[in-house]
Amino acid sequence: MEKRLIKKDALAGIAKKMADDFLVWAPVKKEDNVLFAPLGRNDEPFFSYLNSKNAPKNVFFPHTETMMKYTRTEKGMTFSAEVNKAEQSVLFGVRPCDAHSFVLLDKLFDQEKYKDGYYIAKRKNTTVISLACATPPYTSCFCTSVDGEPVSSDGADILLTDIGGDYLVEFVTPKGEALAKYFGETKADAQAESKKAEIAAKAKEAVKSKIPAHEVKPILDVNFDNPFWNTIHGKCLACGTCTYLCPTCHCFDISDEVKGSDGVRIRSWDSCMFPLFTKETSGHNPRPSQKERWRQRTMHKFKYYVDMFNAISCVGCGRCVMYCPVNIDIRKIVQDISKL
Amino acid sequence: MQNPYIPYPVVVDKIITEVDTKDIKTFRLKFVNPEDEQKYAYIPGQFGELSIFGKGECPIGIASSPTQKGYVEFTVQKAGVVTTALHEMEEGTLMGIRGPLGNSWPLDYLAGKNIVVVGGGFAFTTLRSLINYMLHEDNRKRFGNITVIYGARTPGLLLYKDELAEWGKRTDLNLNVTVDKGDASWKGREGFVPAVCKEVAPSKENAVAVICGPPVMIRFTLPVFFELGFSKENIITSLEMRMKCGIGKCGRCNVGSKYVCKDGPVFSLAELDKLTPEY
Repeated sequence: MEKRLIKKDALAGIAKKMADDFLVWAPVKKEDNVLFAPLGRNDEPFFSYLNSKNAPKNVFFPHTETMMKYTRTEKGMTFSAEVNKAEQSVLFGVRPCDAHSFVLLDKLFDQEKYKDGYYIAKRKNTTVISLACATPPYTSCFCTSVDGEPVSSDGADILLTDIGGDYLVEFVTPKGEALAKYFGETKADAQAESKKAEIAAKAKEAVKSKIPAHEVKPILDVNFDNPFWNTIHGKCLACGTCTYLCPTCHCFDISDEVKGSDGVRIRSWDSCMFPLFTKETSGHNPRPSQKERWRQRTMHKFKYYVDMFNAISCVGCGRCVMYCPVNIDIRKIVQDISKL
Repeated sequence: MQNPYIPYPVVVDKIITEVDTKDIKTFRLKFVNPEDEQKYAYIPGQFGELSIFGKGECPIGIASSPTQKGYVEFTVQKAGVVTTALHEMEEGTLMGIRGPLGNSWPLDYLAGKNIVVVGGGFAFTTLRSLINYMLHEDNRKRFGNITVIYGARTPGLLLYKDELAEWGKRTDLNLNVTVDKGDASWKGREGFVPAVCKEVAPSKENAVAVICGPPVMIRFTLPVFFELGFSKENIITSLEMRMKCGIGKCGRCNVGSKYVCKDGPVFSLAELDKLTPEY
């Protein structure tokens, strides 16, 4: 597909122009954080960010989402499905690791038998524009260990790569190509492409943090009861930060909220780190302590998801490593497992 | 395509208090839109999410058999928020059900075999669905001998008493009802389910045991069936886990790589052996 060049300083303008026509989610500075948020008229997108604090999964899978509405009547309730309000959107400037997470989430939410209309509607109506990591953002990044690369179009409709003075714009899918008019007229030359290839190779090389993510699957297959699982969770606070910031964590709760005679059924993010997550009405809890919860989280990412979908459910963004308040490091866990 | 998160509207047509402690009731639900009944075509062993305004949902096994047309029944113990609300409902109330969810008792595998149904206490509900299905005149000849062993703590805690009496009159069903402890009016058998299984000693020949009950009953019943020579492929049970979505997405009811809601709740012991022991 076609490739173009745009001047580096034109990027913010393009995002804002798109925001006139679509809902544009872009990285914006909010207090000390860079977050993906809908770009308002007076917002300035911030593209020199390393990575956003929140994973942009909330664009397709919001923290809280209304699934249906209902009204109390004299004889119980009447209810109606919440129409999927998925307006045409652009997710502008996500890092390739996060774009990779969408491919993984698709496997779960867009299965053959049970389709999750809420997720799918937003996903279908959103064009993903990835912003390649010309230099790896953090020392905690390990995308190359989990089927990713810092310059990758996986999960993207358009890939932007900083090649010096310009961004190389690659239209990856027809959905991306449909937005070509926003990216000027300058066709990319062979020189730009070779420059990109050079940058991609260097960026890949620069990801120094590596984990044996593929090697641990057969080890996890036979080590459910290994005493190793006693060694991870001791300092875990069960705060759930790792799961909330994780681009691939998808667990949710469904609950009802009522105001007067009207109510909504909502789903909201939940976490396998929380004690109540699996606690049954009888009081029985199949995962009674943080040990079992950590085993679940690790197994889910590196074994169960592989069993179910033939893919590791980790994109190597390193958020859980960076933001864990007690420095539990998934990279060390995987490394330790590889030595069992 | 049907949104799997949205319940079908149903009306509570009939409420039957099953036990003398009054905390287990059967709810007969009728679809508000008659065409929904077709969409809710289910197989014994499946479950549904009962949906109550302002309270939420809870997953409950389907207690009626698909051979019973015009309604769906759920037998529910009063335990948590949703089931308590359900127990306070009156006939005529509108509510919702989602499903049918999960796999089912493996009817095709059971066909042509002798079936031993073992149930304990309140876990008898989806077994009752299976029994009524097998006993239906359209289906009875597809199955060999049917032996039922069902126990409750007291006579007052036995579910479906009228139906048990009807089944007792049949000649094509070997029914064994037992209570841990009888009362003055109880003329039936006394004893725990595992002991009764040992006494009835169903033959393993061309037979499958379908077992559902409290963990303590399962624990003592399995060795009896191993001793009788039943293989793990031919002992089938159903698991319970905390659930929300019921369709393998919300991530809480997995046992290893299997979601109990979607890949279960029915598993053979051979299948369970391959799963991680976390349920």
